[in-house]
Formats: sequence, structure tokens, C-alpha cells
Amino acid sequence: MTSAQLAFSVLLLPLASAAIIGLLLRRAGGLASAISVLTALGIAGGAALLVFGGHRFEVAQEWLRLGDFAISMGVKFDDLAALMLSIVAVVGLCVHVFSLGYMHDDGARARYFGGLSIFMFSMLGIVFADNLFMMFVFWELVGFSSWLLINHYLHRREAADAAKKAFIVNRVGDFGFLIGIIWCHAQFGTTNLSELARLVSGGAVVASAIPLLLFCGAVGKSAQLPLHVWLPDAMEGPTPVSALIHAATMVAAGIYMLCRINVLMVADALTVIMWVGTATALYAALCAVIQSDIKKVLAYSTLSQLGYMVAAFGLGSLTVSHGPAGAAPTMVVAAGVGAAMFHLTTHAFFKALMFLGSGSVIHACHHEQDIFKMGGLAKKLPVTFLTFTVGVLAIIGTPLLSGFFSKDAILYLAYANNSMVFGILALTAVLTAFYMLRLWILVFRGTPRSENADHAHEGGITLTAPLVVLAVLSVIGGYGWFFTTVARGAFDGVYRLVPVAHGADHTVILGVSIAVLLVGAVAAFLVYRPAPADALATKAPVVFGGIRALWASFDRAYGYYVAKVQQRFAMLLNFIEQIFLSGVVIRGVAGVVGLFGLGARALHVGNLNAYSYWFLLGVVALWAFATGVLTF
Amino acid sequence: MITATLDTYLLLSVALFAIGLLGVLIRRNTLIIFMCLELMLVASTLALVAFSRFNGTMDGNVFVFFILTVAAAEVAVGLAIIVALFRKRMTIQVDELNTLKN
Repeated sequence: MTSAQLAFSVLLLPLASAAIIGLLLRRAGGLASAISVLTALGIAGGAALLVFGGHRFEVAQEWLRLGDFAISMGVKFDDLAALMLSIVAVVGLCVHVFSLGYMHDDGARARYFGGLSIFMFSMLGIVFADNLFMMFVFWELVGFSSWLLINHYLHRREAADAAKKAFIVNRVGDFGFLIGIIWCHAQFGTTNLSELARLVSGGAVVASAIPLLLFCGAVGKSAQLPLHVWLPDAMEGPTPVSALIHAATMVAAGIYMLCRINVLMVADALTVIMWVGTATALYAALCAVIQSDIKKVLAYSTLSQLGYMVAAFGLGSLTVSHGPAGAAPTMVVAAGVGAAMFHLTTHAFFKALMFLGSGSVIHACHHEQDIFKMGGLAKKLPVTFLTFTVGVLAIIGTPLLSGFFSKDAILYLAYANNSMVFGILALTAVLTAFYMLRLWILVFRGTPRSENADHAHEGGITLTAPLVVLAVLSVIGGYGWFFTTVARGAFDGVYRLVPVAHGADHTVILGVSIAVLLVGAVAAFLVYRPAPADALATKAPVVFGGIRALWASFDRAYGYYVAKVQQRFAMLLNFIEQIFLSGVVIRGVAGVVGLFGLGARALHVGNLNAYSYWFLLGVVALWAFATGVLTF
Repeated sequence: MITATLDTYLLLSVALFAIGLLGVLIRRNTLIIFMCLELMLVASTLALVAFSRFNGTMDGNVFVFFILTVAAAEVAVGLAIIVALFRKRMTIQVDELNTLKN
């Protein structure tokens, strides 16, 4: 089997699975879940062959031709795609297995697993895409599967609303993305990633609007400010879905897309990207501090970490102005790519771990999600507790765990390029340690604060095994030897780009990193005790209220916009529509036709004699025409 | 003795046709209308025979055979319809047969 055939079979396998489940197995939940999990296993196997078999290639096949304009479907499989493919395959497999246990009693299991399969198909399409149009097609497909899976509990109004919100908010970003793609095609005549790279390195000038418009897509999909509002609401979906789609893979697709188009980046666009990412990181970290729903805390944490990645990507450029003269700009952007993808990788592991851990907690507590009604789960759920603790330690950047290395790479990049961004990201790291330990204390420490938490017990092997696998990856996923020995250098193309601090810089970064961790951790242990009320709200109501107002401000602003601005505009349009379209055009035309009808109806008197007169008249008229008596 | 010329036959034919048409237009009884229709057919047949006779060709006569055949079939169908109509509605007056309109 050639490389291309292997790649296409990996891509089409989940589509086949989704088709079989969707068409034949709607009522056979057990069989459907088995097929879906086997598919995930197959993807993991195929991915391993592709990644470690030394397959690095590019193929393209024309798919649609409209005159001079052609869209092709192809595969660009380099180290970046290999890394993303591995993440999707590993996290996807873990989530599929976890879902076996978590969704076991669900009535619509077949639909759920079919949705997972179609998501895997769409996500793999993004990973493989060799041109922007193909990426956009699969970009929309992941949006669709995300909508499908958020909406899984479709009888709950919140879930239906959240799914619609996610879809509509993503439309806004995707609109910009599409315009960017079209503009890119108009300027370069191609959207093939490798050809674009050739053109740009050949000296083609990129309009700064193009990367910014393409970035709009990432803003929507990766839930950056100001389009972040859909991600916390998307937590209405089943928890494994949150782990797979809304933490590890789909939301990371925005970062991946940015890394794919890094050749198109210009300094102005990167500055914007950097600040958007930084603002998102800080804002989401603040919001996470006041959440009481375990999944919402993790959702805001995801937002914050995605902000980190976007900021890391944006930071790549600034050395052009600050750094040594003569440094090639693409190399500098590449540092951003390295740091962003590195953090994406480690984040995928530990955040999927924590989401699945929260799924295990929620499963054990009979779908109780309020952290103030949990507590004391450390003894009840030992495996979940241990693995979740690993996840928490990894995300707050405890030395020797994966998050430490990737976060340091980003902090170093910020330190080297922009001190203000560095300050904000360090503050975000303090907040991260603060809210993650708050979550950890409230969920696992103390004594159970509700009957559900009291009766909690560990789920089966399908729930715990993925947690252990992801916990191991969260520990070792950041080490250089992991990439050289375990991954056998398959991702070197990306890993080589990760910026590494040396000498004095290294000491500073290490010091700052440990300092922010300690400050956040100590503050969390000082403020929070396992108690049924939010300690911050009682001890510092002003701070709590301030963050709360900030947290609500976006939804309130959008609510105001939709209800007061957009709704009124829609009413105006409706009025115009009623008057002109419905009134003049539609009713007018209908009226004229109706008038003719009224006249014609008068001829039909229902009397045979009358008809014979009409017939006679017709014959006379025909005779008149034929002989030329009557002419027009 | 008056010699019958082509014009005589054609005049007779036109007269028969006009009577038939007038009957179709003004009579209310379906049976009478039907008879008038037949009269119009016969009028055209007469004209055709006359043409055939005075031109010395058989074209008109051939036409007449066809018309007779069709008319025979038409009479069979038409009368059957009228009988069926009468059985159903107990009338064959056309001004009472206006269900399609009302």
C-alpha cells in the first residue's frame, strides 16, 4: 500500500463507520459503539504506520472544476501533520474507550458513536488537508459534528441552545476565514499550502488582511476573544465529547491551521494575533476562578490555554523588529509554531485527561456537576484522583511534568520578545495554578458535601484505563527524550522549532515559572477550604463581583446586540419585506394574475350552448386569420 | 325539368349544414343537438359526393366512406352516453346539465 492509499484509508475509515452506524445501526447501540471503537483503533494503527513508517509526502487530486477554478483534495503529510494526527488518534482512541463506559446507559448510544466517527473523519480531513479550500470543507464538517454532539441531550433546552450558539458563533469566524481563503486565491491563484510557501519565499508580498481574515477562522474555532462565548456553553454536551472536541482536538484545529499558514504571516497580523491570544489567556483565567461547574472551570481553562498557544504563535514575529538584523522572518515565525504546537500537544494530553477525569467524577456522582456539592472524592475515586492530580500538576506547570516544558517555551518566547505579554502570561500562570488547585481542593479534599458524592464509586476499566494512559502521556509528553526515543524523531520537524532558553534566560524563566506556580498554589490553599460555599465570594466580595461582571459582560453585550440592535434591524427589514416584497411584488403580481383569472372565469358559464357559441367564434376567428381578413 | 348542377348540390349542402349548426346552437335537448350534429356531417358528405361526381374522380367518395364509418361509431358512443346520462340524471336538457360550473 502506498503512502497516499494509507492516508486515504485512514481518512475514509471513520466515514465508513459513521455511514454504517447512521444508515443501519441506529437502534443497535452496542454494535454501533463496538464499530466506532474499532474504527478509532484502526485510525490509531494507521496513524502509527503513517507517522513512524517514514511516510512524508504530498499528493493532490482534482475534485471539482468550475471553469478555470478548480478545487483539489489532497494530503500534505509533514511532521506537523504527523504530530497532529498522533494527537487526534491517541486522544480519540482514549475518548472512544472512555465513552464505552460513560455512555453505556445512554438511550441514543448509536447516534453518539456515529457522531464521534464523523467527527474523527472531519478532524482527520483538517489534519491531512493540503489546501485551504479542502481545509475549509472539513472545517465546516467539524463544526457540524461538534453541533451534533453538543446537541446529544437534545431534550434539554440548554443543550439545544448551546449547540445552536456554537454553530452560529462559528459562522461569524468562518465567514472571515472564507473571505480570507478567497482573497488568498485571488492574490496567489492557488491555496495549496506548499505552493503558497514557494510563492511567498519567492518574494510575493502578502496583504496583511489575508492572515488576519484567516485568523478569524481560528478565532471562531479556537474560541478566542471575542468569539469565545460558545465554548463554555458547549459543555452541555457529553463529557467525553468535551474532552475530545472542546479541549484536545477541534478547538486546537485553529492553532494547527495558523501553523499551517505560517508562511502567509506578516508582522502586523502577528501583533494582532499575539494580543488576542494574550487577552484571551488572561480573561479566561479570570473567569475560571469564579465558576462552580466542574466542566465550566475546565472549559475556561481550555480557553486560557488556547490563548497561550495563539499568543505563542503571534510572539514568533516580534523578533523581526527586536532581534538581530538579518534573521530570516520565516525562522522566527517558526519559533512561534514550535512553541504553540508543543503546548498544543501537552495540553491535548493533560486537558483530555482532566476532562475525562471530570467525566469519571460526574459519572460517579450521578451527573452532579457542582463542585461545591462534591468533596472528599480522593478516597472514593482513587484512580481518578491520582490521574486528575497529575493533570492538575501538569497544567499548572509543575517541574518535571509536560506542561512545565511547554509553558516555559512560551514564557521564554514572551520574555525574549515582549515584556508586557510576558507579564500578562505570567499572571495568567498564577491564576491557572490558583483556579486549578481550587477545583482540586473542592472536588477531592475534605468530606462529601452531598449524598451523590457520598455514594460515589469508581467506574469500570473502560473509564479508568484511558485516564491512566493520558496521565502517563501528561507526565512524559514534554521531555526531549520522549520525542527522540518514544516518538523516534517522527516529529523533529516541529520539535526542532521549539525555542529553548539558555544561560541567564534559562535561570530567569525557571525562576519565574516556579515563582508563579508557588504564588498561585499558596494563594489557593490560603483562600479555599473544602466548603459548600465559594470562599472568594465571602472573603473578597468586591473581587468576586468584579470578575463576575467581567465574566458576564460578553454574553450581556452579545445579548444586547442581538436583542436591541440586530432584532430591531431585523424588524425593519421585516417591515420593508412586508410592504415591498410581500405587498407590492408578491401580492401585486398575484393580484394582476387573479384579475385575469376573474375575467377568464366569467367565460365559463357552464352552459353547453354557450360553449358552442365560443366554439363558433373560434372557428370564425380561425377562418378570419386563415383568409387574411383579420391580421395583427 | 331543372338540371341539377354542382351549385344546386352545394346550396343544398350549405342549407343542411346551416340548419344543423343552428340546431346545435339554439336547441336545448341533447338528443336534438346530437341529430343536428349528424345533419352537419351529412351536409359535408353531400358536398363531397357532389364534388366527386362532377369532377369525375373518386377522392370525395373515399372520404365519404371514412366519414360514414366514423359517424357510425360516433352515433353508437354518443347515444350510449345520452342514455347513460338520462339514467343518471333523469334529464337530457343541456341547461340542467351544468354540474361542472355549479
